[in-house]
This record gives sequence, C-alpha cells and structure tokens, in this order.
Amino acid sequence: MTIRHHPKDSLRLAYVAGQMDPATALIMATHLSLCAQCRAAAADDECIGGALLEGAEPMPLRSDALARVMARLGAPEAIHRTEPSADGTPAPLRAFLGHELSCVRWRRLGPRLGYVTLYRRGSLAMRLLRGAPGTEVGQHTHRGAEYTVVLRGGYSDESGNYGPGDFQIASADLTHNPVADVGEDCINLAVTDGGLQFRSRVQNVVASLFGF
Amino acid sequence: MQHAFSFARARQRSRRPPAGQLPVRLMGSQDQASSPERLVAMLRRVAAFQDRQAFQELFAHFAPRIKAYLVRGGTASQQAEDLAQEAMLAVWRKAAQFDSNRASAATWIFTIARNLRIDMHRRERHPRFDPADPFFMPDSPDPADSALQTRQREHQLRKAIQALPPDQFRIVMLSFFSEKPHSQIAAELDIPLGTVKSRIRLAMMRLKTLLGDES
Repeated sequence: MTIRHHPKDSLRLAYVAGQMDPATALIMATHLSLCAQCRAAAADDECIGGALLEGAEPMPLRSDALARVMARLGAPEAIHRTEPSADGTPAPLRAFLGHELSCVRWRRLGPRLGYVTLYRRGSLAMRLLRGAPGTEVGQHTHRGAEYTVVLRGGYSDESGNYGPGDFQIASADLTHNPVADVGEDCINLAVTDGGLQFRSRVQNVVASLFGF
Repeated sequence: MQHAFSFARARQRSRRPPAGQLPVRLMGSQDQASSPERLVAMLRRVAAFQDRQAFQELFAHFAPRIKAYLVRGGTASQQAEDLAQEAMLAVWRKAAQFDSNRASAATWIFTIARNLRIDMHRRERHPRFDPADPFFMPDSPDPADSALQTRQREHQLRKAIQALPPDQFRIVMLSFFSEKPHSQIAAELDIPLGTVKSRIRLAMMRLKTLLGDES
C-alpha cells in the first residue's frame, strides 16, 4: 500500500501527546494502523515524550505513596493480543464499531451513496461514507476542517487522488467535488467540524435533512 | 554529565520571551541506578518475576517524574499524586507488555501516564492504536538489531531535543505536557495560533534534520 497523503506533524503530535477529541483521535489511530511511515514518526514523537518525562524535574510524592502502591500490587495482566481482522478493518476502527467494516449497516443517501454517523459532539461529526464507483459527492466547501482517511477504493478531487490509507486534510477554504474512483466502492472515515456547504441548493437541503 | 530539562524554569519563562538560553539545567551526573539500560532491566525483572525490589527502583525513578509531568500540564497536585500512583500500578500490571525493541522505559511509561491522563478527562472511551497489532509488518526482522536501534535513536532524539532553539523547545514541551489545545497555548504565550503551528513544524523539521532523516 503506497500512502501519499499524511496528517501534518502538528496533528500527529497532538494525537501522541493525548490532546485530541475522540473523533479526530480515531481517524488518526486508523491512519496510523495503515501507514508505517506515520507509525515510525509517532514512535519518534512518543520518544520525545519519554525524553521530556525523563528530563522532568522530579516532584516528590507523599511519604506514604510507595507503601500505598506496594500494598495494592496484584496479579500482572495477561498480554493482550489484538485479534486479526477478517476483512482488514483497522483495529482502532473495529474496536470503536464493535464489529468489522463488512458488517456496517449503511443508511442510504440516494442510490449510490451510503453513510453511518459514528459520533457527534457540538459541531464535530464523524461518519463512515460509502460511494459506488464513479459517484460524485457534489461541489462543496467546509465550514471548518475536514479530515478523511480512505479505507477501501479511492477518490479524486481538485487536490489529487486518494487511495487506501491516504489522509486528506480539507481546510475551510478548499472547495472540492470528490469523485469515487472506478473499480470498487470507495469507503472513507471522515471527521468534519462544522458541516458541509454545497454549491447546489438542492444538495444543501438534502445535506441538512441528513444532518451533514 | 547529563542535561535535564527544568520545567519549573521553563514555566517561569513561558510568560516572557526567552532570553536566548535553553531552558535546561545541569542535574549532576546521573547515578548508575537510573541509566536507561538499568531501567529496562528493572522492568524486565518486574515482568518476569514480579520483582518488588525492581519495582521500588522504578517507582523511585518514575513516580516523581510522572507527577511533575502531570502538574506541569495543569493537573491539580492531589490528582497528579493519585494518577502517578495509578500509573505505577499500571506499570506493575502491564510490565509484560513492555517491548524494549520498540521503546525505552521512559517512553513506554510516558504513554501509560498519558493514557491515564486522557481517561481521567474523558468519560467516553478514547480510541487508541495498538502498536502490537499483528496486522502491522515488523519494522525490523531482527529483534536484537531493533533494540539497539531503538536505544540509539532515543539517545539521538534526546540530544536533538536539547539542541532545539528555546522557543521551539518550549512549544514542543507545551504540546506534550499541557492539557490544553494549541489554540490555548497560543493565547497563553500571547502569540498567534499560526506561530504555534509553524514553530511545531520547524521544531519537528529540525529534529528530523538532527536525526539525519529527511524522509
């Protein structure tokens, strides 16, 4: 799998540092599952965290802290192994869904588009999106940032072509019309902050009806 | 002699622009007891034999650092104390999961403390990616090689972090230790959000250059 589009350093750093909302964290974790290059970079980021922890000026604990902890030492945990996925669903996504990608029950949005909303908090929404080959989403812009990671198939827009594992950052100033590549269905995980703004008024009405 | 970062000093400076000096101070020569190799050996003893003495040594080294990490990030002292104890309990329970091919003891314990801090703040389950997912191809086929490589890389990274210009160092430190998002860090330092992001980017580029990989 050749991945050409990656999240920015600052986004990866925020993930590693643990300062991310759960939706953006899931999309980052999903990309990391698919991208060896970003995994290596994230390992380096964690190493920075380790170096900073090591260098922290120690702050004494209460005098009875060690005794309290020693009194609570119990049995060690068995090593947890992630079960391999039957259909290649990235482990963090599978853990979130509670099942494989192939068991998703899609809601229809027209004859060629499907979606499931996985998470919603304030203006933030996370969805799985599925488009039949050649499907056009329609020219739209974003009220806030939109992050997309491709799980199956691929799509193209004004900014380039995105295949499995690719991570697209669409900022509020990007107007695009993603078109699913020919071949297989395109399945994406997307996090949007603030929703979409379509050029077509009909699409805007439909989008708002469906909560996009 | 080893340099160590002083958070107390960095915090004092965080309100004012840097005086052109690195916020580091000399901690004196590090004692034998807390060398990275020794800490790995102690973790292995905890994993293999539930060795309480080895655990005490890890506790003495890491618990006060975890507390400092949490307090520095804005956690109240009492809560930081409790979380540091919980983190050390997790170190005891999870020691068998530690893989020295992948990380140093400090890096692994950083991730434990970070995860506990996330869990403290969120009721919702937080998605995490499992570096031991069998789905991934191993990065290096020879474990002996990768343990050595990990050590060397961590050593290089530490040196590279210490060589960062003070403003970049502070941003990197704040992005790791503060619980606040970048926008709040920007407000606190009284610099635009774009500057925070560009300093992070510059710092990461510089670290990559210092590590000798531009890829």
